[in-house]
Amino acid sequence: MTMNSVLTKQTVYGAQFSAILDRLPGHGLVWVDRLRERAMEQFLELGFPTTRLENWKYTDVSPIRRIAFQPIADRVSPPLPETLRLQIEAYAAPRLVFVNGKVDPELSNRAPLRLLSLSEALADPEQAKVVETHLGQYVSTSDHAFAAWNTAFFTDGAFVVIPRGIVVKQPVNLVFVSVEIGEPRACHPRNLVIAREGSQVTFVEVFLGAGAYLTNTVTEIIAEPEAVIDYYKIEGESAYSFHTGAVQAHLDRSACLTSRSISFGGALVRNDLNVALDGEGSHCTLNGLFAAGSGRLVDNHTHIDHRKPHASSRELYKGLLAGDATGVFNGAITVREDAQKADAVQHSKNLLLSERAQINTKPQFEIRANDVRCVHGATVGQIDEDAIFYLKSRGVGEDEARRILIRAFAAEILDDLRVPALRDQMERLFTNWVQSALEAA
Amino acid sequence: MLRIRNLFASIDGKQILRGLNLDVHAGEVHAIMGPNGSGKSTFAQVLAGRDIYEVVAGELTFDGRSLLAMSPEIRAREGIFLAFQYPIEIPGVSNLYFLRSAVNAVRAHRGLPELDAVDFMSLAKEQAAGLGIDDAMLKRSLNEGFSGGEKKRNEILQLKLLDPRLAILDETDSGLDIDALKIVADGINAMRSPERAIIVVTHYQRLLNYVVPDHVHVLVGGRIVRSGGKELALELEHRGYSWLEAEQKAVV
Repeated sequence: MTMNSVLTKQTVYGAQFSAILDRLPGHGLVWVDRLRERAMEQFLELGFPTTRLENWKYTDVSPIRRIAFQPIADRVSPPLPETLRLQIEAYAAPRLVFVNGKVDPELSNRAPLRLLSLSEALADPEQAKVVETHLGQYVSTSDHAFAAWNTAFFTDGAFVVIPRGIVVKQPVNLVFVSVEIGEPRACHPRNLVIAREGSQVTFVEVFLGAGAYLTNTVTEIIAEPEAVIDYYKIEGESAYSFHTGAVQAHLDRSACLTSRSISFGGALVRNDLNVALDGEGSHCTLNGLFAAGSGRLVDNHTHIDHRKPHASSRELYKGLLAGDATGVFNGAITVREDAQKADAVQHSKNLLLSERAQINTKPQFEIRANDVRCVHGATVGQIDEDAIFYLKSRGVGEDEARRILIRAFAAEILDDLRVPALRDQMERLFTNWVQSALEAA
Repeated sequence: MLRIRNLFASIDGKQILRGLNLDVHAGEVHAIMGPNGSGKSTFAQVLAGRDIYEVVAGELTFDGRSLLAMSPEIRAREGIFLAFQYPIEIPGVSNLYFLRSAVNAVRAHRGLPELDAVDFMSLAKEQAAGLGIDDAMLKRSLNEGFSGGEKKRNEILQLKLLDPRLAILDETDSGLDIDALKIVADGINAMRSPERAIIVVTHYQRLLNYVVPDHVHVLVGGRIVRSGGKELALELEHRGYSWLEAEQKAVV
């Protein structure tokens, strides 16, 4: 693609922006318009990333660049396929459901919490003040075109604030559904989650869809001192879709974030997960499982920034690649000069189910403090044929033996899902994925 | 039950079994002894159907049917069981789940209904108790972090649960202390029956003090060079294998 047509495509988005700005949530609030306009400038300046950029070396987004995605400014409620309805229902209340980027009051079920969508919060002057303090303050739009694009175009999302000292027992489910309607469309969900001092919450982001579309999401997570956040991201987009998602978490003193990211769907998926350990004694655990079959690319980029002393991080990402799928894991860890006694452990484990599948896994450590412990390891393997024979010698059939060993590979992540309904749902999705991978083999 | 004629098998082009003959009938216990590298483990693996070994020539029949075209899982369902010398560790698969999958695969083949988790649990506990296998060991990942003795006891548990007609025990005594050896031997002896045959593959005579064989065969250079009764094992204990290896070289 030539530079000219790239510019043309971006000009399309520039024109779209001018055309719909006054219909986007928060319009009229000076700070919102400024935030969007500034992000739009950055998006136009950056353009879509190319594989010449180190952070996008293995992920060619030209399939996204080639399409002029239409924006969604107004609420459209296309009929949802039954399978999607059932999947939505698997996530209990309290739940917010967004269809094509807009909150759907009928599908949502907020009780017993007072959950707000971001557009609702922006429409309420008091809530808008809280949003203003945080929205766009953590995620970087100066070097991440997709985050900039989202910041300019976001239509809605969840605004979750857990008050000081409150422990929310039920997981908060945020379900994002995209459905193809006519021309290819881009949805830009935007979430802001704030856990006040000493509060605890589990929240689940689920991405589902039907047909061809792009979901480009941004979530900012703020954990105040001693807050505990369990965050799940379930990416189960349709097979013809694109998913780009950036999460930026900011942890204060002794705050704890556990992130579990599961990717099963999408033709091209890029997850960015950045955590700033910006308080003494803060801790994050980042676990991930991504499974991709033929024709798919799944890229997980994580960055843990140890900014203050005595912070610790644990990371385990497992990649399962079949057919001619490509996987990417890039685990960056920065330890700043002041972040003494940092304790970081990172593991990337990958299982290739075919000779054509590939994984690019890379640890990326930048350590500027001297009293730290940083450990990393990466493995890439195939199914152990000795183990297959062992199972078969006990009467277990070939396919079942493979299923058992693939499930065993994912066990560390799947068995650690702490929300029972979610675990069952993931078990089903995983079983289906394995079945189709084996059938395709 | 098992009939082997002139069996030749190789791995990566290297001949391991060179004309092995053996007949095993129901109710019998056979010991296959031999020095390191004589082909004992290859023999055991070939019986179970390991595909890295190529059967180049010969006959291998079980109840009159050739095993050569049968996959390992079909052999297992037909009633052949191999206790591994080195049981494989599989993290992430609970021992109990594995055992139930195996038992149900075999039951389905025999036209028996599948056992649900509850029924299977009580069956497994009952069989495990006699082998000193506790609940924790049933729930742990398959063989992961098991001691040598635990792995071998777990193999015997599988033997009991799968109830095969031909059991092949490959170096089941290796890595066992004397107490574990007795437990394992008791487990094997409890499986002796007129309908079942057992082949004990071992380097040492030690296990044969507890599991007394009807027939002893010495494997050297990939073929059986001598067969006899249980007293042959004792002779080997005293004289070692070198005299048979020397005889074998003289013949060749």
